[in-house]
Amino acid sequence: MKSSDLLKWVFATLNFGRARALLTAIGIAIGIAAVALLTSIGEGVRQYVLDEFAQFGTRIIAITPGKNITGGMGGLLGSVRPLSLADNEALSRLPFVESVVPVVQGTGEIEYAEKGRHVDIFGVNSDMPAAWKFAVAQGRFLPPIPAGNRSSPYVVIGHRVKQELFPNVSPIGQRVRIGGQRFRVIGVIEPKGDMLGYDLDDALYIAADLALAMFNRDGLMEIDVVFSPAIDSVTMAAKIKRELIKRHGREDFTLLTQDQMLSSLNSILSVLTLAVALLGSISLLVGAVGILTTLTTGVHERRSEIGLLRALGASRRQVLSLFLGEAVALSTFGGLCGIVLMLVVVAALDVLAPTFPLQLHLPFILAALALAMLIGLLAGLVPAYRAATLDPIAALRSE
Amino acid sequence: MSEKAPLVQLRAVDRHFLLGDQTVKALDQVTLDIHAGDYISVMGPSGSGKSTLLNILGLLDQPSGGEYVLDGQETSGMSEVQRAAYRQREIGFVFQAYHLIPRLSARANMELPLMLAGYPAKQRAERVEPLLQRLGLQARASHLPRQLSGGERQRVAIGRAMAMHPKMLLADEPTGNLDTRSGAEVVALLEELNRDGITLIVVTHDIELGKRAPRQIKMVDGKIAKDLILTAKAHPA
Amino acid sequence: MMRWLDMAQFNLRLILKHRFRTSMVLLALIIGVSAVNLMIGLGEGARLFVLGEFSFLGKNTLIVMPGKKETTGGMPPITGASPRDLTLQDSEAIARLPAVKRMAPLVVGLAELSYQGRVRESIVVGTHADFQFIRQLSLRQGRFLPASELHLAQAIAVIGPTLKRELFGPEPALGRWLRAGDRRFRVIGVLESKGVALGMDFDEVMLVPVASAQTLFNQQGLFRVFAEVRAFGRVEATRAQVIQVIKARHDHEEDITVITQDAMLSAFNDILKTITLGVAGIAAISLLVAGVLIMNVMLISVSQRTAEIGLLQALGANQRVLLQLFLSEALILGLLGSVLGLLLSEVVLAVGRFYFPAMPLHSPLWAKVAALGVALTTALLFAYLPARRAARMEPVAALNEEKGV
Repeated sequence: MKSSDLLKWVFATLNFGRARALLTAIGIAIGIAAVALLTSIGEGVRQYVLDEFAQFGTRIIAITPGKNITGGMGGLLGSVRPLSLADNEALSRLPFVESVVPVVQGTGEIEYAEKGRHVDIFGVNSDMPAAWKFAVAQGRFLPPIPAGNRSSPYVVIGHRVKQELFPNVSPIGQRVRIGGQRFRVIGVIEPKGDMLGYDLDDALYIAADLALAMFNRDGLMEIDVVFSPAIDSVTMAAKIKRELIKRHGREDFTLLTQDQMLSSLNSILSVLTLAVALLGSISLLVGAVGILTTLTTGVHERRSEIGLLRALGASRRQVLSLFLGEAVALSTFGGLCGIVLMLVVVAALDVLAPTFPLQLHLPFILAALALAMLIGLLAGLVPAYRAATLDPIAALRSE
Repeated sequence: MSEKAPLVQLRAVDRHFLLGDQTVKALDQVTLDIHAGDYISVMGPSGSGKSTLLNILGLLDQPSGGEYVLDGQETSGMSEVQRAAYRQREIGFVFQAYHLIPRLSARANMELPLMLAGYPAKQRAERVEPLLQRLGLQARASHLPRQLSGGERQRVAIGRAMAMHPKMLLADEPTGNLDTRSGAEVVALLEELNRDGITLIVVTHDIELGKRAPRQIKMVDGKIAKDLILTAKAHPA
Repeated sequence: MMRWLDMAQFNLRLILKHRFRTSMVLLALIIGVSAVNLMIGLGEGARLFVLGEFSFLGKNTLIVMPGKKETTGGMPPITGASPRDLTLQDSEAIARLPAVKRMAPLVVGLAELSYQGRVRESIVVGTHADFQFIRQLSLRQGRFLPASELHLAQAIAVIGPTLKRELFGPEPALGRWLRAGDRRFRVIGVLESKGVALGMDFDEVMLVPVASAQTLFNQQGLFRVFAEVRAFGRVEATRAQVIQVIKARHDHEEDITVITQDAMLSAFNDILKTITLGVAGIAAISLLVAGVLIMNVMLISVSQRTAEIGLLQALGANQRVLLQLFLSEALILGLLGSVLGLLLSEVVLAVGRFYFPAMPLHSPLWAKVAALGVALTTALLFAYLPARRAARMEPVAALNEEKGV
């Protein structure tokens, strides 16, 4: 039997039981749409989160004080062995290091004229804009911290702070009080927006040594090292580790490379996407039950026809492929409908919620279609085998 | 006629079924030769083994014992695929219930064996067109089975059986569902095909129909009770 | 009018006769219903587990932290770094408020602990006697920090069971001196193990008097102050009082944040609830598919039973009876499938509870009601069309319906 004839036969059969075929396909379509949509959303969220983190660059290693405390929590706590500005200085002299940013973070009030605002205060150094990929919109950034001396009381403010405190005047050169101390505004950071719900613009930046004094802290919360592309992160991390152990006499700090973090984040989000897709596949499973039911009913109703086909010289294999073809055609049709359904939902989401993170991937869509076909094949196996092994004589007698 | 080897040679063929814990002998030591071009009717009461005989002749069923040589070939050694292929090429079936595919037109039903055998559409049309003409069905060719009368349906079924130009036509109660007139038409058609050379074997309850055959086999309890060969008046005009 | 019992019997016989079809519909419903119930059970279990892990404080405990931020909705100022420290004197002022029943200041830091050559880095918490009640810590051995003067830097420590095991092994720890940074502390108590913990793991913590921690870390400012309010109804009022008192002490500048744990966790709680609902919603899609399957099977059933429908009509069944007949078939299937699905998912949840006793894997009643409701509604909804088709059949045509060819 020619495959074009097989196709024609299958379509004629499905067309004959149109309502039934349509409903069965709808079942699969809902499942495929669910899976395709959920993976698209998962993929979208993954991309979104990774992009949020990758904006700081991938050649960055964060060092936090404390050894056995994971997740950088160590920086928030007091420590008997803190990371110092001297450590920061030493790291900046290592080969391949491009910039090193000491980080002290706290909150405090900035006052200008009659207005005051409680904001995040970051104690950093002149390397920060390069390391974190922050651009200065107005004025300039902090000068380097002078060795052995106190830094000048300069401050660079975030966009939101500028809007709130200096709505009408240029903030550059203005005198402000931060945490009760006098500072002069020398620059404004360009708007950065939110990162995962955290307003990056409602912050200001002062020299790390001043921040340590302001918050009465011994040590830095974190040191960020940005290294040259000429070296890989593992080697760089090892160099940093050696240097700090040399200085501290022991390993009392934790390193976290950005690509480590990105890759663990990536794998977490991929697993989540997979889990959500699996959850959606429950619907596909039910859809497969639908194919199984329809096909088994069809085999039962068409017993005499199967007997006839055998009498006319159709081999078992031919009967098998006729019914399998029916199953696969049903599920493929369902899969196509599902993809159309998904695209409709995506289009609707695009109009209603344009910021919704949703990433359409052709490979995913094709995989969904392949999945639909596979499900049809699997669900059709039992009924098709039943049809193929039907005793032709008994089948012909049944009516 | 008998100088050539017979088309069908049954030697002591048994066919046993298990019914509960009892063995039913549907065929019991049946020995039978059928020559190419023969016209044979098989009669007998229900359960006498007529249909079983037909199924075995048509390679739909296999003997429990004995020997069935078809066209010079011992059939017990044939694989399922070989049996299906032989059935496809050389054997046509006509059933009491027609067994037409309800969603296919008369023409498509007749083309069905050709399609299964992998003939391209053009060749199928070339084969089926003259058959439609011969059966007087040109005007009904694109009708679905449910739009046809009983007699028409059976003629479509005969057309389907003839599509592959088989050697042997096996008809199981071909007039069972038909009124007298349509029945007579169908019988005339079958006999015409026989005159053209096909081996025709008709299983029937209908004594009138059975008596038309030049060779009449009567079966009782799975055995051939009577094998009547009327050589002289072969075909009444 | 057919009696409902007869109708049920009629349908049950039908359902039993078409065993394959029935079991497929039931299978689909079981998958859908159990998925919904299971997902809600898992989600609720996870939510309660996580909240339980993080909610170590009572409902009427206020958390006072230094620092303040203008932007609302984001994270509270968790780093605790602020130009003006929250001092021990501040915490005493809070404790003096009449509505405050208990108060515990907190200084937290990392220090290297050692005992006879065994070294381990650990979190050191400087606090006060009341902390035991606010955090509900119980002791395995010895006693907790004494209720002595806050400014007294005694060289005593209470350690968590993991620390005890890692530093002292099988030896008794009580009365021994261990070294933390450049100071020595005498162990006066060992905490009872709290088991798995997502928040701060007190199994690995050393507790010392707050003043001792201040000198150990050379840090005057407090990380947190916990204040337990006498009555739940006065939490909000007390919160305002705390802010007032500290503001008065800080040159009338409001530079602290005071929240309750519930407030801190509420956003978290909302997220987890939304996730649970979302997950249950995704699972419920399978019920929709099951509904489509029911519709399909009912359509097949109607077309196969055309003659029977004609006969019923001839025997005097009107449209309503036929509609009820087919709808009740769907209803029975829906009920059966839902109940089996609920049973299955409850068994799975029970097995989950057996293997993870810490997780409260229970699906709430509303989840079961919702799963059942959705299943029955879809069953009826999708059965309606086929049932109507059956009810509206022309009696004569139905009786004469020729089956196949």
